[in-house]
Amino acid sequence: MHLTDQHAWTNRWRRYHPAEKLLLAGGLLLLSITLPPLTTAPVVLLVVWLATVIGAGIPAAALARFIAVPSAFLLTSVPFLVLSVSSSQGIAFSPSGLETALRVVARSLAAISSMAFLTLTTPVIAWTPLLRRLGVPQAIVEIMLLIYRLIFVFAEQAVTASQAQAARLGYDGIRRSLHSLGLLVASLLERSLARMRRLEIGLAARNFDGELRVLQPTYALSLWRLALIGSTLLAVAAVSLLGNQLLAKAMT
Amino acid sequence: MSPVILAARDIDYVYPGNVQALQGLSLDIEQGRKLAVLGPNGSGKTTLLLHLNGTLKPRRGEILLDGRPAAYDRRSLNIWRSRVGLVLQEPDDQLFSASVYQDISFGPLNQGLSAAEARERVRLALAALHIKPLAERATHMLSFGQKKRVAIAGILAMRPEVLILDEPTAGLDAQGVAQLLTVLEEQRRAGATLVFATHDMDLAYTWADVVAVFCDGRVLRQGETVAVLSDRELLQAARLKMPWLLEVAQALGELEQPPRSQEALLELLRQSHSSPVTVQTPLPDPPPQGGRELLQNSYLAYSPSPCGRGLEGGG
Repeated sequence: MHLTDQHAWTNRWRRYHPAEKLLLAGGLLLLSITLPPLTTAPVVLLVVWLATVIGAGIPAAALARFIAVPSAFLLTSVPFLVLSVSSSQGIAFSPSGLETALRVVARSLAAISSMAFLTLTTPVIAWTPLLRRLGVPQAIVEIMLLIYRLIFVFAEQAVTASQAQAARLGYDGIRRSLHSLGLLVASLLERSLARMRRLEIGLAARNFDGELRVLQPTYALSLWRLALIGSTLLAVAAVSLLGNQLLAKAMT
Repeated sequence: MSPVILAARDIDYVYPGNVQALQGLSLDIEQGRKLAVLGPNGSGKTTLLLHLNGTLKPRRGEILLDGRPAAYDRRSLNIWRSRVGLVLQEPDDQLFSASVYQDISFGPLNQGLSAAEARERVRLALAALHIKPLAERATHMLSFGQKKRVAIAGILAMRPEVLILDEPTAGLDAQGVAQLLTVLEEQRRAGATLVFATHDMDLAYTWADVVAVFCDGRVLRQGETVAVLSDRELLQAARLKMPWLLEVAQALGELEQPPRSQEALLELLRQSHSSPVTVQTPLPDPPPQGGRELLQNSYLAYSPSPCGRGLEGGG
């Protein structure tokens, strides 16, 4: 999560309008779901790779790692699609099951990768204006952002505290580990509350009046990029449909 | 004497649970002069600072802004905090926003400035602290020293007349301290009044025009830096150490003007090398060797009695 977040903040496309990225990712997602998966998925993966790695400059390894985690869940379901159970044959390999499995895997991979593009290229602050425009209440957006910020503060504290516990042999054996973990959680709760009180003082020093007003980043929509995204989506659809026809012809 | 812009008059503060934090404390902050509030850890320095921007309200006594007692209603507090900026010791206690730029814009927007004006304030604050390249960064990806500067920028963007910093150099390396002091010196030249709370005697000696020696909830003495910090008895009572430059200067004899920086001392020594200075007072005895003895003779020795007994009238 830390690494993903870091790429979102530092990639070359961070200044592009989030709506543009949303359009590309959403479009690809929609195509992956609606068009025949076996020909769509490779094209979508190609586009995502081009956009994320070549365009935004995010290392291919980061993209692969992002896709790999949900893919692990995906792969566990494959055996159940490929094998069929019946009273006459027992457990048997089913050819139609194999095709279904391939379709499911291709479709899911394409969908996951388009979301990966969006997540890896868009920093959290780009979402706030968009969420507000979508009608999410200001208070909810503020709480989201505050939680986002504090996650990192508390994660750091948790890591340091658990290292300090380990240095005093707090994680030697299951019994002691559980005990130490309990103490850690309790102390983190206490420290979080203390920190919140101090944060309140810090905010009050800057005339906090109940609303966390900050300057929102401004993004410019580019017609050129929108046109590029539109034509990319059309191209993906065209290639996929054409490929599907060729594939069907080859099968018969 | 410069006009007193902010003052505490005889204030008492008691934390819940009857913990006496401040006891008859008085302090003057003079316009345009650098003040260091000196005291050991846990002596109540932070509590005092929280009074100076109206976060805490004294149980007795009052805070004076331009000589008038400060009021604690919302409007008055807003004006007060726009004039008196407080930078907390721990930057994570102050930075709430995901991005540096947004965090700095918080104060100016709360002051009711337009987005365009706030943008300009943020730009100037970033420039003042030499952190323009950090503007688009995520707060959580900054180093401690960077966070500290962003926290200061967030206060500077509000254009306070008085800038109060709690332990500003804590956790910074030598270069970080030097950079911070340069930045603050620029602010002082631009007209800001600076206040440090610190236990770093050497920093206070080289930096401050005026010091206030603080101990167990009150100011024992406030005055010109050299005069106050040369008072060995006072420092001992406050469990503080004499700055090493002054220590050396006193060992060299009663100098008219003790050196205020390491460079000045070196220059002095170089001059005395060509025409040796006669050491007028004998050098102090070498420190005792035994551990227990060392502790007993040291200013660090634990003194169970409250500090400042017999020093009534200071402050």
